[in-house]
Amino acid sequence: MNKQTALSGKEQRKVLFRLIRYLIPHKKSVAIALLLLILTVTGDVIGPYLIKVFLDDHVAVGNFDTNPIIFLAVSFMVIQILNVVISYFQLVKFQQIALNVVQQIRIDVFSKIHKLGMRYFDSTPAGSIVSRATNDTEAIKDLFVSVLIAYVQATFLITGVYIAMFLLNPLLALFALVLLPIVLLVIFLYRKFSSVVYMTMREKLSQLNAKLSETLSGMNIVQVFRQEERLNEEFNEINDQHYQAMMNNTKLNAVLLRPVIDLVYFVAIILILSFFGITSFDKAVEVGMIYAFITYISRFFDPINQVMERLAFYQQAIVAASRVFELLDDQEIEPAQIESKEQINEGWIEFKDVTFSYDGKTNVLKNISFTVNPGETVALVGHTGSGKSSIINLLMRFYEFEHGDIIIDGKSIKSYSKKELRKKLGLVLQDSFLFYGTIESNIRLFDENLTDQDVVEAAKFVQADHFIEKLPNKYQQKVTERGSTFSSGQRQLIAFARTVAANPKILILDEATAAIDTETEVAIQQSLEKMRKGRTTIAIAHRLSTIQDAEQILVLHQGEIVESGTHQQLLEQKGLYHKMYLLQNGIVEESLAK
Amino acid sequence: MNVFFKLGWFFKERKKQYLVGLFSLALVALLQLIPPKIIGYTIDEIGQGTLTFASLLMWVGIILITAILIYCLRYFWRLMIFGSSNYMAMRLRKKLFLHFSKMSPSFYQNRRIGDLMAHATNDVSAVQQTAGGGVLTLFDSITTGTFVILAMAVTIDWRLTLIALIPMPLVAISSTYYGKLLHERFHLAQSAFSDLNDKTQESITGIKVIKTFGQQNEDIDDFKRLSSEVVSKNMKVARVDSLFDPTISLVIGISFILSLGFGAKFITEQTMTIGDLVAFNTYLGLLVWPMLAFGMLFNIMERGSASYDRIESLLSIPVEIDDKPNAIDQRPNGDLLFHVKEFKFPGDEKASLRDVSFELKRGETLGIVGKTGSGKTAILKLLLREFEGYKGDIIFGDNRIDEYRKLRLLEAIGYVPQDHFLFSTSVYNNIAFTNPGVESKEVEYAARLAHIHDDILRFSEGYQTIVGERGVSLSGGQKQRISIARALMSNPELLILDDSLSAVDAKTEEAILEALKEERQDKTTIITSHRLSAIQHAHLIIVMNEGAIVEKGTHDQLMELKGKYYEMYNLQQLEQLVEKGGEVHE
Repeated sequence: MNKQTALSGKEQRKVLFRLIRYLIPHKKSVAIALLLLILTVTGDVIGPYLIKVFLDDHVAVGNFDTNPIIFLAVSFMVIQILNVVISYFQLVKFQQIALNVVQQIRIDVFSKIHKLGMRYFDSTPAGSIVSRATNDTEAIKDLFVSVLIAYVQATFLITGVYIAMFLLNPLLALFALVLLPIVLLVIFLYRKFSSVVYMTMREKLSQLNAKLSETLSGMNIVQVFRQEERLNEEFNEINDQHYQAMMNNTKLNAVLLRPVIDLVYFVAIILILSFFGITSFDKAVEVGMIYAFITYISRFFDPINQVMERLAFYQQAIVAASRVFELLDDQEIEPAQIESKEQINEGWIEFKDVTFSYDGKTNVLKNISFTVNPGETVALVGHTGSGKSSIINLLMRFYEFEHGDIIIDGKSIKSYSKKELRKKLGLVLQDSFLFYGTIESNIRLFDENLTDQDVVEAAKFVQADHFIEKLPNKYQQKVTERGSTFSSGQRQLIAFARTVAANPKILILDEATAAIDTETEVAIQQSLEKMRKGRTTIAIAHRLSTIQDAEQILVLHQGEIVESGTHQQLLEQKGLYHKMYLLQNGIVEESLAK
Repeated sequence: MNVFFKLGWFFKERKKQYLVGLFSLALVALLQLIPPKIIGYTIDEIGQGTLTFASLLMWVGIILITAILIYCLRYFWRLMIFGSSNYMAMRLRKKLFLHFSKMSPSFYQNRRIGDLMAHATNDVSAVQQTAGGGVLTLFDSITTGTFVILAMAVTIDWRLTLIALIPMPLVAISSTYYGKLLHERFHLAQSAFSDLNDKTQESITGIKVIKTFGQQNEDIDDFKRLSSEVVSKNMKVARVDSLFDPTISLVIGISFILSLGFGAKFITEQTMTIGDLVAFNTYLGLLVWPMLAFGMLFNIMERGSASYDRIESLLSIPVEIDDKPNAIDQRPNGDLLFHVKEFKFPGDEKASLRDVSFELKRGETLGIVGKTGSGKTAILKLLLREFEGYKGDIIFGDNRIDEYRKLRLLEAIGYVPQDHFLFSTSVYNNIAFTNPGVESKEVEYAARLAHIHDDILRFSEGYQTIVGERGVSLSGGQKQRISIARALMSNPELLILDDSLSAVDAKTEEAILEALKEERQDKTTIITSHRLSAIQHAHLIIVMNEGAIVEKGTHDQLMELKGKYYEMYNLQQLEQLVEKGGEVHE
């Protein structure tokens, strides 16, 4: 996950500009924040000036008229307090902008994820998709909060300090401009070296963690094969390399970070003292002026230190951002639907010569054709990999197909709106997935049009109410970690209730392979039967007993329909279906007696 | 504070570095006092018109030398103190890894890899922080603070010092308070973030369900809600975080105005010069950091202490299965006798093995069949000495297996686990796992025996192809066969195949079994399997059910018995038929 891809300077800038474009909707807030920043900087700059006036006009000449001094003291305090208040709001405002920008990026990423086709999910590990939406966007947040804001603040403050210096003494300010290229050079050098040193350190750390995590996962093998010592050596080697990398980073920071900036600061002090010292040989110099310059110069270095310390984040965040944008630009989107008003009323389905392949090489469905009449049930049976699930994947529009067509009520499946399809096609998956929330929220599944009564009715319909009513909190019972507190049968019933509540015209069932606990078995079978009434049903069946009354059974083998008919017809054929039937009923000897 | 005592051993070990580092740090704190003073002198000379070129040069020279000295010393203490803390991290990781590698399977059963990783990363870096930043902050804030205050009081004016210091404790108090508040709020922000993370995880795992019900927009709304929560929690952090700088500048501002006001008074009374006042103000600026640091120190220490305790408690878990004193330093070989009356996994109520006994002559093959959880794996785990505490005897050769040195026992065993775990290194290194320096001839030989050689040659880099995410993705069958080759490398006295042929097709299975038979005529083999074809040829087959042997004999004997084995056998024959598409009359 921590794989660092090297980005060229040009690519980095491109990513940065794209990030900055996210600020456009926040123009107003940015303007306010900048205004507050300018006020803060002004306050920062005026303070030392007032002290200068105090020192030069009063202390140095021994003029202690009360009124002007009180005026000075009061204005100093007022400015100080205003400054504190304004800078607080300024800091908060900038953070708010950054957080809002990151939220927008997050929502964009999450919305994009929902637009991606199943192919994307097949080829990308779930963990790395999650990382894109959360960890990588978090890194972008750090970029905005720690780097960009500090950068803007530093730029404004430095500009303000220079303006003040120019107003006080243009010649010295001009001299002080020399500092700028020195500081920029230090920043440039630090960035240049740290990009290598810091990246090496990150790289070593991720190697270290990878080694650790892999060895921990395979510790059993390591121990059985007595390789503990060797792996300790290997680990220590990486550990040493990481240590070296950390040391290099420490050294680099020691050479080029705060210590060197402080050195430049002292050079600046020397410059100021020399300037005023030499000037004083010819004419009088105001002491307060020296004080003001020394204060300004020290203000100048604070933000630079801050920016430098955060430079290391920059590269990391840019790499994270580039990964986020990669996902946002991904073209593997879900199959398109036409936005039409067409409705599915009958539930008549026809597969017309459909051929399909996941990878574009091997066909998992070959010229599949069959028809389902409204209200009838078609069962798909076959061994793992025979193509049953692929038929459902196509019908649910999880994947796009190229050859053949699927017709619903006389029109191609592609000509219905997405909304209509989702409303009229109900799928019950084999692994009944429950979401974090309550039983009610799982049955309702965000559909706010359902009344509480509807939810209860749906649960009753599938006989889930028996066990739900026994729960301490009934329908408000918490569902945690994918419903692990419920048995697989109970989960299945909740999933049924969810489908019943949605009331689809066409029912698609993907029966659970694993044996379901006997307690709920009866309820499940009865509910299935009830649910199928009045609905066109396409069912994947693992247990042939559940589909004996289907109007049509299709037996699939390696992507082709090899047998079809009713249960009785297929048994009489004494083909593959017959064998499967015998196998499931444990009637073995008869089948082997050839 | 007591975390520094806990880390005492380390400070002692790195005494030299810490002493040099802290000494440098103290020197820096002292040297820092010079420039403000010099600035004050220079200003006074300018003000009085007594500055000469020579004196200017001297003042400037002193500042320059001081600056360079400070630079060098700063480099030095960073190297010493941060260097030591880096060293600390390295040491702790090393210790932890060594300890992890000694822990037995029961240790891993009760813990998640993620948690162990967290100890080795987060906890280690918290301790590293304490040994580096913590030490620095504590020492530096005390030395700098003391030196600066002394310099102000002694060299300038003690009255002014007292007055200017009045508001200063506010910095320490508020930074401690903010720090605490920040910590709490940060915690809440973190947990909002982790909720968002969970939500995303869930949506992606349940993407099909969401697509099915057309609930994308609603799901996105839910995500928006959670992500707004993250924003609001983070804003709460920002509101505290943004308090630091303004508060400090307010306090400093008050200090300034106090010192200026009273300073002006002292100047007119002629007990102080303007230069002194400027130097005094510069000193005040130097006090900000120690005050601020004191507030942060508390947090660093607290976290470091908790982390160190966690690491220590992990390291104090004793090694469970160790060699007996005077253990036999000899590789066992010979017959295998397994007589276990009862065995329970630690923490289990129910026995996993009951009255399981069998005897195996050297060179024989044992087949074990049974459902998941029937006790097959428990037998193997006892043989591998991953668990002990059973009632009964397991004798390999002339002695009980726990009388050998564990190392020697394991040397005699080649094990192919159920979950074929491969390392993300080359295929070659995976096979030559026990002996990385071995000749390629031997590796290839083992690969041939396991019928994976031809597959390997087809990979892009042959034997040097990297396994896993960054290289070739292997099928389950290929992984199993590589695991078999790995186990065969040491030509073990006892080979254990734990359901390790499940993912290879029937023909390959037969070929591998044939090769093993040929190669291992005088060596013992134990095979567990769901598929009976893998154990049909064994000299002895035991059928396990709920931890006990229910049938025992050769294939022919068991078929004749017409019991469980017979039933399973027929069922599997039919299953194969269905898999092939039902073509009976081929």
